[in-house]
Amino acid sequence: MTPAKNILNYSYYPGCSLHASAKEYDESTRGLFKALKIGLHEVPDWLCCGATPAHNVDELLSLSLCAKNLELSNQVDGDLAVACAACFSRLKVTQHRLAENEEKRHQVAYALDAPLALDKPVKHLLEILATDFGLDRLAAAVQKPLSGLKVACYYGCLLTRPPDVPELDDCEDPSIMERVIGATGAETVSWSHRMECCGANFTLSRPGVVLKLSGEILASAKRGGADCIMVACPLCHGNLDIRQKEIEEASGRHYGMPVFYMTQLLALAAGVSTSKLGFGSMMVSPVSLLKEKGLL
Amino acid sequence: MSRIGVFVCHCGENISRTVDVEKVAAEAGRLFGVAYTCDYKYMCSDPGQNLLKKAVAEHKLEGIVVAACSPRMHEKTFRNAAKAAGVNPFLCEMANIREHCSWVHEDRDEATAKAIDIVTMMVERVKRNKKLQPITVPVTKKALIIGGGIAGIQSALDIADSGHQVVLVEREPSIGGHMAQLSETFPTLDCSQCIMTPKMVDVVNHPNITLHTYAEIEAVEGYIGNFQVKVRKKARSVDMAKCTGCGVCMAKCPQKKIPNSFDKNLGFRPAIYVPFPQAVPNTPVIDRENCTWFKTGKCGVCQKVCGPGAVDYTQEDEIVVEQVGAVVVATGFQLYDIGPKPAGSAIEGYGEFGYGTIPDVIDGLTFERLASASGPTGGKIVRPSDGAEPKSVVFVQCVGSRAREKGISYCSKICCMYTAKHTMLYKHKVHDGQAYVFFMDARTPGKGYDEFWRRSIEEEEAVYIRGMVSRLYQKGDKVVVMGSDVHIGVQVEIEADLVVLATAVQPREGADTLAQKLGISYDKYHFYSEAHAKLRPVECATAGIYLAGACQGPKDIPDTVSQASAAAAKVMTLFARNELEREPIVAKVNERFCVGCLACRKVCPYGAVEEKEIRDRSGNLIKVVAYVNPGVCGGCGTCQATCPSKSVELDGYTDEQIMAMIEAL
Repeated sequence: MTPAKNILNYSYYPGCSLHASAKEYDESTRGLFKALKIGLHEVPDWLCCGATPAHNVDELLSLSLCAKNLELSNQVDGDLAVACAACFSRLKVTQHRLAENEEKRHQVAYALDAPLALDKPVKHLLEILATDFGLDRLAAAVQKPLSGLKVACYYGCLLTRPPDVPELDDCEDPSIMERVIGATGAETVSWSHRMECCGANFTLSRPGVVLKLSGEILASAKRGGADCIMVACPLCHGNLDIRQKEIEEASGRHYGMPVFYMTQLLALAAGVSTSKLGFGSMMVSPVSLLKEKGLL
Repeated sequence: MSRIGVFVCHCGENISRTVDVEKVAAEAGRLFGVAYTCDYKYMCSDPGQNLLKKAVAEHKLEGIVVAACSPRMHEKTFRNAAKAAGVNPFLCEMANIREHCSWVHEDRDEATAKAIDIVTMMVERVKRNKKLQPITVPVTKKALIIGGGIAGIQSALDIADSGHQVVLVEREPSIGGHMAQLSETFPTLDCSQCIMTPKMVDVVNHPNITLHTYAEIEAVEGYIGNFQVKVRKKARSVDMAKCTGCGVCMAKCPQKKIPNSFDKNLGFRPAIYVPFPQAVPNTPVIDRENCTWFKTGKCGVCQKVCGPGAVDYTQEDEIVVEQVGAVVVATGFQLYDIGPKPAGSAIEGYGEFGYGTIPDVIDGLTFERLASASGPTGGKIVRPSDGAEPKSVVFVQCVGSRAREKGISYCSKICCMYTAKHTMLYKHKVHDGQAYVFFMDARTPGKGYDEFWRRSIEEEEAVYIRGMVSRLYQKGDKVVVMGSDVHIGVQVEIEADLVVLATAVQPREGADTLAQKLGISYDKYHFYSEAHAKLRPVECATAGIYLAGACQGPKDIPDTVSQASAAAAKVMTLFARNELEREPIVAKVNERFCVGCLACRKVCPYGAVEEKEIRDRSGNLIKVVAYVNPGVCGGCGTCQATCPSKSVELDGYTDEQIMAMIEAL
């Protein structure tokens, strides 16, 4: 690696969830990047990416919100780091759709009343860690190896799909999460439901759907022998963690499966103080598991 | 002063839609040296050609420009018409205002202006054309067939039966190809071996067929009627003349646990082996990578037990040179390897199906071996994982085919039918078993095909589910198939004992390399390209090379056999003549100016340039010049572009002509 590459610096788009229900994802991301000496500077005045609702009701709104965010991101140097799987997907989809459609570009430019600036590379944290930073350096930065911890890496729907957009990894058979967490010495389990839908927004309108779909994910992770699940999406986290007790009640099965954000585990391994990792805000407490594995 | 006629074609509406053909004709009429112009709807039709012939007679035309399609399409047509009208055919040229103009432009005025430019250039060229006489070359009446599957066998037998010599080259130790691996064939369920093996025997016994198995094409040179082919016969380590095929060596070989690729690695074979008992020729080969003698220098059991002393460890690869007049390419297909995405491949993998990691997920050809009476289980259908009889089998169609997001957009054509066949074979052997099929569409055009498919549903009780499969995973000893049923709009999960994937048909590995050796073209998937999709489906654009079978595109057995016989008929048509006429577009050396640097020889891709000594009357050497053998020259013009003293030129493409064309703009 060239010396210049050693100094990594990113602009950062946290997105709404990371300032609210997924605060621990934000905290642990900042903690991890600090520990790895990677620069991370939040884009001032960023807006909501529009998430699922915007593109369901109005494509122009959805594209315009993301185009505005991409324009705003130019205030800060460095490629745009994104943690939330949905924000990542929306920003990437916007770049893709606008690159291939001139008419939509004109519409969005009209809506924003400004020339478009869409060229900032958008990168998920996984890509930054696996490619830009490098797995060797990540492994070298580990202070507390997670050996003995069996992790089920859960991708959900948005990280790698649709096939032509995110370019993060193989669309249906990715391995980037396993490779990244594997660098900390954690053991990744082979399991069936790592790409299945958790039920997503139905958690509000039809929770029964979520109890069924997320229940199957938990059952599959258990079958695969996992101690815990690792996610990169606040909504998946909510469904698997917050709804876990209800799932257990509805299915009559006990899981007790802690659901971590990827950066919580990575930061833990990189030696970030556990007080900064937000373990307290997880509904399924990871404390006994981490103690058992000698990680707390 | 020349008298040139310009004939502008509408090509139905193909040209006239974007080009004002009447204006092109009128403008051409103003050109110096043009004595006659006209336009017509279909210049290539009989009335169109008559128009040309009549104009030649009435206007005493000396040169002809046909402004129409590509010369690849109709140059021959119009040159024949010119010849019939009494004009030397090489004074007739095509101005391509279709592919080079109307098809690629939208603006009518600009396209018309360009068409006029193209015609003007060709008029200047024809003014400077010379009357050329065709070159005749002899035809070697011997055909090379590459590939010994059903396509190659059929072509070989047809050509050999017509009395011509045939050389059949097969890469594997035995001929037979994929058809020898199949169990029973649709739509009649006759046993593949029973209809295939007699043909294999016919090949080996035919007096007109020379068979090279375990051999590959090393290099191909020459041109139609006169190809020189180098064949590498790989060292078999067994003398074919001495071996009686008794099989003692195979029985005694201590290496017995080598996965048999003919059985899709379900069974085992020794290191000295024939791929299957009905192999032709029935002479074993030694697999040197796995043979103890070749690995350690110890063992030698097969040599000791061989009665006739046929085993020969010192045998080396042998290069055989064959002179042939025609080539039939019949290299067949392979099934798409459905593991994870290979590095650097444009085609995505199917890691989510777990093929290669879940033992009870197999491909269609593996199922054929399981169902075959001569297969590793003797025709008993069992699961690879534990040998148990599967009570529920899920068949998944279109794995890799019609999957644009995975990189293959074509239909593999055979899978609908063979999957229907698989459900029947399964039901016939496991009466209480249940077959499920996930399918996008059932494509069953063919005689008796749809009836066959209906039978699998109505009589053999296969359950067809219209929808795709997203994922397969192991759960206990079952394989869970996650899919959708789009008819009723629900997600479906089936716990199956065995899953069979109908994977895409792809050309053989290395199809591109062989095409480069032969100088034939191929598409982005490496299927070989025919000269015309509708009217010349078995010929390559390269003269003298023909296509048969799945190397040209996915095909079932009846289509393959038809195409193979068609290719054979084309070869016989060629062999019906003793001499061929070749285009006289060849390079000629101006010996006065040639300094004998022979730069042309270095760049000639055909090896057509020789040294020629020029001597005076008393035999003293004056100088050495280059000489182009007109029988070998391919007319590419590379020498002309290379020659530093401008002393070599291609007839019909002289520097003077090209400069005149440029100046006309």
